[in-house]
Amino acid sequence: MPLKLERIKEGQRVIHGAFPRYAEYNCAMKYMAEHGFHNVKFVMPPPLTKRTEEIGARYSPDYVCTPFKTLLGSLIEALEAGADTLVMVHGYCRLGYYGELMEQILRDQGYEFDFINLSEYDTWKKRDWLKVIRRIDPKLNIPKFVQAARETIRMMEHLDEVTSDYYQICGFDATGGEVRRAYRRFLAALYTADSGEDIEGAYKRVKQDFQTIPLNKPDRPLQVGILGEFYTVMDAFSNLHLEQKLADMGVEVHRWMNMTHHLLHYGEVKNLAPKIRDQCEYTMGPTSTANIWYAKACAEHGYDGLIHVKSANCTPEIDIMPVLQNISADYKIPTLYLTYDSQTSDVGLMTRLEAFYDMIETRKRALS
Amino acid sequence: MKQAYLGIDVGSISTKGVIIDDDNKILSSAYIWTEGDPIGASKRLLSLLEKQFDKKNYRIVATGTTGSARKLVGTIVGATMVKNEITAHAVGTTTFYPEVRTILEIGGQDSKIILVENGVAVDYAMNTLCAAGTGAFLSSQAKRLGIEVEEIGEYAARSEHPTQIAARCTVFAESDLVHKLQMGHPREDVIAGVCNAVVANYLNNVGKGKKILSPVVFQGGVSKNSGVVAAFEKALGCKVTVDENGHLMGALGAAILARKGKGRRPFDFAVEDTEFHVREAGCGRCPNNCEIICVYSGDKLIDAWGNRCERGAVH
Repeated sequence: MPLKLERIKEGQRVIHGAFPRYAEYNCAMKYMAEHGFHNVKFVMPPPLTKRTEEIGARYSPDYVCTPFKTLLGSLIEALEAGADTLVMVHGYCRLGYYGELMEQILRDQGYEFDFINLSEYDTWKKRDWLKVIRRIDPKLNIPKFVQAARETIRMMEHLDEVTSDYYQICGFDATGGEVRRAYRRFLAALYTADSGEDIEGAYKRVKQDFQTIPLNKPDRPLQVGILGEFYTVMDAFSNLHLEQKLADMGVEVHRWMNMTHHLLHYGEVKNLAPKIRDQCEYTMGPTSTANIWYAKACAEHGYDGLIHVKSANCTPEIDIMPVLQNISADYKIPTLYLTYDSQTSDVGLMTRLEAFYDMIETRKRALS
Repeated sequence: MKQAYLGIDVGSISTKGVIIDDDNKILSSAYIWTEGDPIGASKRLLSLLEKQFDKKNYRIVATGTTGSARKLVGTIVGATMVKNEITAHAVGTTTFYPEVRTILEIGGQDSKIILVENGVAVDYAMNTLCAAGTGAFLSSQAKRLGIEVEEIGEYAARSEHPTQIAARCTVFAESDLVHKLQMGHPREDVIAGVCNAVVANYLNNVGKGKKILSPVVFQGGVSKNSGVVAAFEKALGCKVTVDENGHLMGALGAAILARKGKGRRPFDFAVEDTEFHVREAGCGRCPNNCEIICVYSGDKLIDAWGNRCERGAVH
C-alpha cells in the first residue's frame, strides 16, 4: 500500500483508517480515504475468512445477524493490521445501532481507537457529511476532495457494472477461466488504482476482455435473479459464493442489489413503491421495496427462478417473504429461500442449489 | 444379457440401495443403518444386493448415488451419476406416481417438500436452520419411552386425546415431552402428540407458504411411521399415499437418473473387498483452513475435495 508521505507534513498526525470488509467495495473506500484526505492512510483489513467470522462471533451476542459478526471480526482484523480509526456504516434496520454496540464491544476488549460512527451523522444532510469530513481532516482541500469523491463514485459504478457482467457470462466461458482471470485482474487494478486514469483504464480493459473472450452461451440460457438482504446478498464470502456456484452450473446470474443501484442512484428509480402496489402497500425495511420490485421485474422478464438471500433473524427480509411467495405463485416462478448464519455449511448450500438448478432446468425443458 | 442399474442412497441414519432393470422393475433392494460409517454401510449394502441379484442374466451398466454421502460413496463405487437427494426423490416419485402434486419427505436429518405439476417439479423447500433431525428425534424418543421406533404408529393409533407437545425445534419438543410425561399423561397420548408435533413443525417450517395439493405422496424413513401418516392426513384433510418402497425412493431415483444419464461404467461388486479409507487434512494456506477430504483406495489417492480455492487443490 503506497503511503504518500509527501502529502503529510512533519509532525502531523496520520490517521490509519479502516472500514470493515464489504464485498469488493474496500478498494473504493481506500481510494476515497487516501485521495480525498491528505492525512489518511487506509488500512486494508484482510479478506474475510472463517477466522474473521469466528472472532466476530466470539464477541457478538449469539442471536445477532451474521453480518454483525462478520463486520465486527473484520474490524478486529483491521485493528490487528494497525488501524487506529474505524469507520462504521449506518443503516435503516438494526444496522443503525450496530456501530454503537461494536464500539462498546471493542472498547471492552481493550482496544484503543477512534471510532467514526456514521449513524451519528445520519440525517443525510450535506452539513452533517461536512461534519464527518472536517472531523477527519480539519484542513480539507475541498476541490481535491470533490474530485476524489467523483472518481470513487465512478469506481463503484464500474465495479458494480463489471461484477454484474461477470456473473452473467462467466458460466459460459469457452476458454476455461479467461473470464475469471480478466475479472480478477480488474479487481486487482482497482485495489491498486492511484488515479482516475487507472480506474478508467482498468474498466476499459476488462470491458474489452469481456467482449473478446469467446463464450459458449445459448440464446436463451437459464436466468436466475438474486435478491435479498443488503450485506449477505452482495458479499461473496458471506453467501458462500452463491453467485459463482450458480454461474459455474451454467446459469446467467442477475442481481440488481448493489451500491450503485441502491445507494448512488436509488433516486433515479424512485417511486418503486407504486410499481408494487398490487403486491404490498407499506415499506417494510431498508431494502424491502426494492427487493419486491426486483422480484416482480424478474418474474415479468420471464426469468427461470429467484433466489432470496438473508442472514438468520433478518426481520425486514423475513417480512417480505410472504410477498415473494405471492409473486412466486402469481407468476409461477420457482423461488429458493436461503438463510445464512455462521454455521451454514457449504455442502448444504450445494445440495439446495443443485436441486434448484435441476428443477428450473427440467421445468424449462418441459415448458418449451 | 440384460442391462441393470444400481442406485444407492446414503443418508445420515440409513443406507438404501436398489438394482433396477430398463422397466424400473426392482431386481434387488436393501435397507440398512448407516451407523456413522457410510463406507462400511455401502459395502454391507452391496453384499446384500449382490445376494439377490441375478448375475447370469443382468449386468449393471450404470450407477447413481444420492443422499448426504453421495460424493464419498460415488467416488468409491465409481458412480456415473451423483445427484442431490431432492432431485432423486422427485424423479423417483414422479416415475411411479406421474399424477402426484405434492411430495412430502421426512428423513433422518432433512425434511423436504416438492411441488409437482404435470410430472415436473416446480417448487421445493428443504429445512434450513431448523426442523432438522426429525427421524433421529423420533428414534431417540421411542428409546426414551422404552418402545421400538416401529411401534410408534401402533401406540399413537390407540390414543384418544393426543397431548399437546410444543412443536418447534426438537429441543423444545423433547423438554415439553418429558414435562408432559412427568405430569402423568399416558404414553399413548404423548406419542400421538409427538406425531402431531412433527407434522405441525413440518407444515409450519418446511411447508410454509406452499400450496399442498392432492395427490400427496409421503416418503422417507418417517413415512413408515403410521402415526405420522395419520397426523398428516388429519392436518391436510386428504389422503396421503405411502408407497411400500417409499423408503427406497431416493435410491430408485438415483438408479433411474443413472439409466437416463449418458455415463456408462460396468459396476463390479469387487469394491466390497477393497479397502477404502478417508483422511482429513487442514489446508493451512490461509486462515480459512479448509478441511480437505482425501479418499484412498488402498494407498492410492482416488479423490479429494473440501478446498475453497486452487491453493488447496490436491491434484
